[in-house]
Amino acid sequence: MGTFFDFIVEHLAQFLQFTAFANLTVGHVIMICVGLAFIYLAIAKEFEPMLLIPIGFGILVGNIAFAPGYQIGVYESGSVLNYLYFGVLQGIYPPLIFLGIGAMTDFSALISNPKLILIGAAAQLGIFGAYCLALALGFSPTEAGAIGIIGGADGPTAIFLSSKLAPDLMGAIAIAAYSYMALVPVIQPPVMKLLTTKKERLIRMKPPRAVSKTEKVIFAIAGMLLTTFIVPSGLPLLGMLFFGNLLKESGVTKRLADTAKGPMIDIVTILIGLTVGASTQATTFLTLKSIGIFALGAASFVVATFGGVMFVKIINLFLKEGNKMNPLIGNAGVSAVPDSARVSQVVGLEYDKTNHLLMHAMGPNVAGVIGSAVAAGILLSFLA
Amino acid sequence: MRKRINKIIPGIVALLLIVFTSVSVDAQNAVALKLNEILVYNDSNAVDDFGEHSAWIEIFNSSYNTVNIGGCYLTDDLNNPTKYWIPTGDPVTKIPARNYIVFWADNHPTRGIFHLNFDLSDGRTIAIFDANGKTLIDKIEIPSGQKPDITFGRPSNDSDEWVFLEKSTPGANNDYTKKKSAGESFVEMDPYGIGMTMIAMFVVFSALAILFVIYKNMGRYFIRKATPKVKPVADNSKQVHEDAEMSGEVNAAIAMALHLYQSEMHDYENTVLTIQKVSRTYSPWSSKIYTLRKIPNNR
Repeated sequence: MGTFFDFIVEHLAQFLQFTAFANLTVGHVIMICVGLAFIYLAIAKEFEPMLLIPIGFGILVGNIAFAPGYQIGVYESGSVLNYLYFGVLQGIYPPLIFLGIGAMTDFSALISNPKLILIGAAAQLGIFGAYCLALALGFSPTEAGAIGIIGGADGPTAIFLSSKLAPDLMGAIAIAAYSYMALVPVIQPPVMKLLTTKKERLIRMKPPRAVSKTEKVIFAIAGMLLTTFIVPSGLPLLGMLFFGNLLKESGVTKRLADTAKGPMIDIVTILIGLTVGASTQATTFLTLKSIGIFALGAASFVVATFGGVMFVKIINLFLKEGNKMNPLIGNAGVSAVPDSARVSQVVGLEYDKTNHLLMHAMGPNVAGVIGSAVAAGILLSFLA
Repeated sequence: MRKRINKIIPGIVALLLIVFTSVSVDAQNAVALKLNEILVYNDSNAVDDFGEHSAWIEIFNSSYNTVNIGGCYLTDDLNNPTKYWIPTGDPVTKIPARNYIVFWADNHPTRGIFHLNFDLSDGRTIAIFDANGKTLIDKIEIPSGQKPDITFGRPSNDSDEWVFLEKSTPGANNDYTKKKSAGESFVEMDPYGIGMTMIAMFVVFSALAILFVIYKNMGRYFIRKATPKVKPVADNSKQVHEDAEMSGEVNAAIAMALHLYQSEMHDYENTVLTIQKVSRTYSPWSSKIYTLRKIPNNR
């Protein structure tokens, strides 16, 4: 009887060793708190809930402290999470998300006022500002390139590039990119207000003209050919973006477009969010490098906003009265679609209740998506 | 104008086809195989799986995917291109991307797939032919003056030149010198990232500026095309005038109808009368409380 009792106690003790309570570290607790904060922000404040809920829950999943060796965690070969993470590691999910983005994006604002495209280019300054800072802080060239892309404010692009240049930092980079995308309404307005005068904020822009279907179809095809001829390494992202847009604009592939912008992008968003969140295991995530990445990410968003707003101000010097652009749309050059365009609208309405900037800001916003994909291609060409 | 465009489009398509077809691409099949390194006199170099020192030939898969060399031919005589047929259906003949395979030129074909039916003592040309036995994939003429244990090969994977190599590397890259990564080389010249910023911003601006120029001109063309030509005929001018004066409400109604139609949000009236219950009003007749039987009270 005593032997049997010992057997029970011994196995209960053994079982306890397998529980998360026995393996829990302070790091796990911190990361679980971060995950809970993400979920809180998503539900209570409605900050990017589509992203923060999967990522936040993924952080919880990734920080359940298990005993290693049982094919449970995202970094253990053969585990279910590891299989799902494969799509992140190999850069499969980001192009699929770009397909969906292309299928749901209306480029009319950009086509009707093509000079807005250039704002999307100017805002990429954030990427290279962060790249320079990262080099100065001692990150390796490939790490600096991967960190810099946070300034593009484009989650899928950040994941795609970091999976190629610095897979070890991908979790931190993805979390930083998505976090700051959610925080665009907090980060950008002070910079926008600081750089503009009240008179500039009140500038009214001409309403965009109607764009024909032919123009939209040509945009998708010509856009893909031109950008990928210049930066072939951006092909996975740019090709899928314009392909998705062609599905939408051709008007004859409605079913395909509906799938790309509906169920498919939803599925991929769930998978990418959950697995990226789960990749933030405290043991690999809580490092000084991660803190540096978060600091650089914030700086890159500020620089990107600065670049976009200042570019509009400079361009305005050469434009006639009546054709001037409101510098408040400059922030939308970062590709956080449509959050940064929404910020332009909200800040614009603060100064003039009837001056709606949303449609104008959508131009640089979607140009930012193209610009950040091109920038990612350049970084890949030079550093990979 | 339309006629002119119709004439131009086939020209553009033809031009693009010419451009695309003239650009060389890396083949993802046996064509990507390269003879890479050979050793004619093996005194104390690599040993084969029978423990013997034999001449060897290294082949490199220069493509970025797996190539199966099975079915191809190796020969030391261009007049007999099918001298040694590499057997098919064996997994060991698959060469991973940017990887190497070694054949032993020992004239002992019974020893396995990688043992050839010729040696290099007489051969002055080594060649590899495609599975059809006719298409030459790669060949190398072995110069005289071969020394024992000194290999003859390409100094690097991408080189077309052949030299005597200082170190033999069967099944491995001939260039064994320490190399910097592309990123390290870049940062060595540009430690602060200024150069990268300038180049990258220039490229991003150029790419988007080209788009800007194209769409600017395309927009002008479509605006011109969309603008109705007003003819000075009395009746037509009246019609144009009426169209221009269409009120905003009418435009909005048309736009909404089109939106609903295109988004398939409009409902279909099927002319069947139905009564739609819009709210539930309380009535004791429909109340469960009053319709339930009272529990019998025995008191």
